[in-house]
Amino acid sequence: MKGLLLALALVAPLAAAERDMARELDDVARIATVMVDGDACRRIVTPRALEYMFKNDPKDPWVAGDNYEVNDEAFIAVKKTLLRLSHLASFPCDVNLWMPIAGHPDKVRVVIRNRNELSQFWPWGALYQDMIPAMKQVLETGQRLKVTEKPGWVSVLAPVYDSLGDIVGLVEAVTQEPVDPQGNVK
Amino acid sequence: MRFLLFMVCVPLAAQISGNRLQATLEYLRPDPFGRIVAADGGSDGFLNTVKLEGARGGHVSFHLVVKVSRPGPYTLTLQPDPSPSGPQVQLFREWFHLTESKQYFPDALIPVQQPYHSAMPEPDNRIEKQTSQAFWVDFWIPADTEPKKYHTRAVLQAGDETSELAIELSVLRAVVPKDDVLLMDHNSYGTSWLADDYPELSRKLGDRFFRSDELFRLIHSYHRIFYEHRGIFHQLGYGHAGKVGPEFAPALEGSGRTRHIANWELYDRHYGPLFDGSAFAGTQRGARPIPFVYLPVTPEWPASFVNWGEPGYETEFVNVVSEMEHHFREKGWTGTRFELFFNHKKRYMGFPWDGDEVRFPSDNRYFLEYGRLMKKAVPADSPVKFVFRADTSWDMEQQFKDLAGVVNMWVASRDILSWLPKAPAMLRARGDVIWFYSGPPAVTEPAATITQFPLEGWIRGVGGFVHWLTVSAGNDPWFHFDGGGTTLVYSGERFGISGPIPSVRLKIQRNAVEELTLLASFAGESLKEEYLKTEAARSYNHTTPPQWWNQRPAFADQPTYEWSGAALGEATRPAMRHLEHIDPDAWARVRQYVMRLAAEGDGQK
Repeated sequence: MKGLLLALALVAPLAAAERDMARELDDVARIATVMVDGDACRRIVTPRALEYMFKNDPKDPWVAGDNYEVNDEAFIAVKKTLLRLSHLASFPCDVNLWMPIAGHPDKVRVVIRNRNELSQFWPWGALYQDMIPAMKQVLETGQRLKVTEKPGWVSVLAPVYDSLGDIVGLVEAVTQEPVDPQGNVK
Repeated sequence: MRFLLFMVCVPLAAQISGNRLQATLEYLRPDPFGRIVAADGGSDGFLNTVKLEGARGGHVSFHLVVKVSRPGPYTLTLQPDPSPSGPQVQLFREWFHLTESKQYFPDALIPVQQPYHSAMPEPDNRIEKQTSQAFWVDFWIPADTEPKKYHTRAVLQAGDETSELAIELSVLRAVVPKDDVLLMDHNSYGTSWLADDYPELSRKLGDRFFRSDELFRLIHSYHRIFYEHRGIFHQLGYGHAGKVGPEFAPALEGSGRTRHIANWELYDRHYGPLFDGSAFAGTQRGARPIPFVYLPVTPEWPASFVNWGEPGYETEFVNVVSEMEHHFREKGWTGTRFELFFNHKKRYMGFPWDGDEVRFPSDNRYFLEYGRLMKKAVPADSPVKFVFRADTSWDMEQQFKDLAGVVNMWVASRDILSWLPKAPAMLRARGDVIWFYSGPPAVTEPAATITQFPLEGWIRGVGGFVHWLTVSAGNDPWFHFDGGGTTLVYSGERFGISGPIPSVRLKIQRNAVEELTLLASFAGESLKEEYLKTEAARSYNHTTPPQWWNQRPAFADQPTYEWSGAALGEATRPAMRHLEHIDPDAWARVRQYVMRLAAEGDGQK
């Protein structure tokens, strides 16, 4: 009994801290939906890079990555917004941009990552990956979603709209507790 | 003319007992069953008398092989020459790695004390029906060693039988120069792998591990092992989106005008002993500062990218880099070149331009901007040496022109450099550093394969070579080995050693660098460098130096973003073809040539 109480006493503040972090991330994500320019997001990755993204050449295994390019003006404008949004949180957090891929509804890609190199979903190095069900839900419904699948990680996903009112992507406001200062330093 | 062989092979006439003590050349790796590994030529090559020769200030090595007829305990001892100041001998047990293809290759070298007591099969290596255990014997010949013959005996005691092997080492008068003919660099990324490779230590220290003295001792031990093997070590301390590990950079505070360095504590504990050379005290080569180091600068450090293109970015960058220059100058850290180096690629989505291996020429404008910021941050007359490094491939030819006077350290793709034969001399003439890069050959390739890099660098006239990753041995290098294409050292923790242990490949590379350095030192009036290169290439793989270059392909005139990787492969094939299959004796022939010249020099004195 004493052990159980002790365990509860230890876990309760952690759970509360996670709730607070999730609440802050939810605020960040909510504001991101307002602030991130979906039209600029559409312009970041060039049509040429998207064309190469799914090319498969046994003689040239890096063809997709070698031809990945972006319009730096759009990239920088959106990245600066994401960086400022991350400053809203009282703890280290990143706000990453994700986008679907036209013609590949089962795939999704990260488009901008940030200074803490945090993401609950990105397998390091992937140009694109299988659609994350929670992301699909955000893209389809426009609702914000909290994801805590990986222990210690909290992400809040929120839609990004363009000037037509269409959902063109989503942000992942994410943190990790405890932070791993050595992670992804490579 | 004296014609000296590096090692005289005397085949065994008969076996007196069931136990044997034999030897092989360093390029012929023994397996655990009494043979030479197939990649190195199969079964021939065992010796029962060893005659070596070597220059002073260098090493001479061979494999010593214990063969027993039945399982059981044995004792191995090396009885060195009694001369008081002769060569120093060190013994290593060779670990037989089981590869994923179910073959055994020796590579990790475990330092052992003498006499060495063990049993066949070697208990921890767990090889069923093992009959043979290999040891690496390293002779270090200090520069002040008296030139003469030294005699060492290896003695095997197994059961009631004693076997011996006589080892004669002729020390030549020649001395290997202290500075290598080219720098062999061993790269790595971050420090998280250290916690993985030293689980006992990291468990013991818990959260304190990454701030502990033990961590920095470990890091220094990696620098030391590569330095002791005629190389250097680089550790990149940042990620593709600009995250900087706290042990790689001073801590910052503030933003805009107020951004400044708040704390040097971790940085100085990490780098101080490397920059003043004290981390290398007691080594054979003596205490010297590391010659190169990455700065922690990224597009996100020390200036925040949120201010990119605005006055705040310039202010943050210039103020902090100026503080760094001041700190280094105050500390007297002037023996190291501090590299501004961007490793990020846009495919990793951190930044909109490629810092590493620029493919799209428009990205070069970012280099120009950082060159401007560096000039503003660092006084022109600073005794602290800053360099702007670019690792270059696709856009190499154009970058050499467009970034002249901005980038002054180039680490070039081996492939594309191969069609620019005038580039190394042109870059050196304007004071730039030029290296090239590739990676370690796997253990499944002939042991001599690793010698191609220093030789290629010397023939091409470049000053250094980078193995892009040298500390990643995989999840289980001991029993499920991935081949070692990303490592040249191993964690010693499972053997009770709190630091890295070397490999057969690293030792072979070290010896080759020493021998090449000695060969290059013979260049002068009577022996032109080009002649020496020609002879070395001929000895190595029956080529001429021009065959180490390729024709510039027609597509090189097209914009780099239109090139294909496949075409690139085709264009570089002619020169690479000569290096695809290095025969096991390739370096032995070069060594023989070097020793012959050294001995002829002895004869002239």
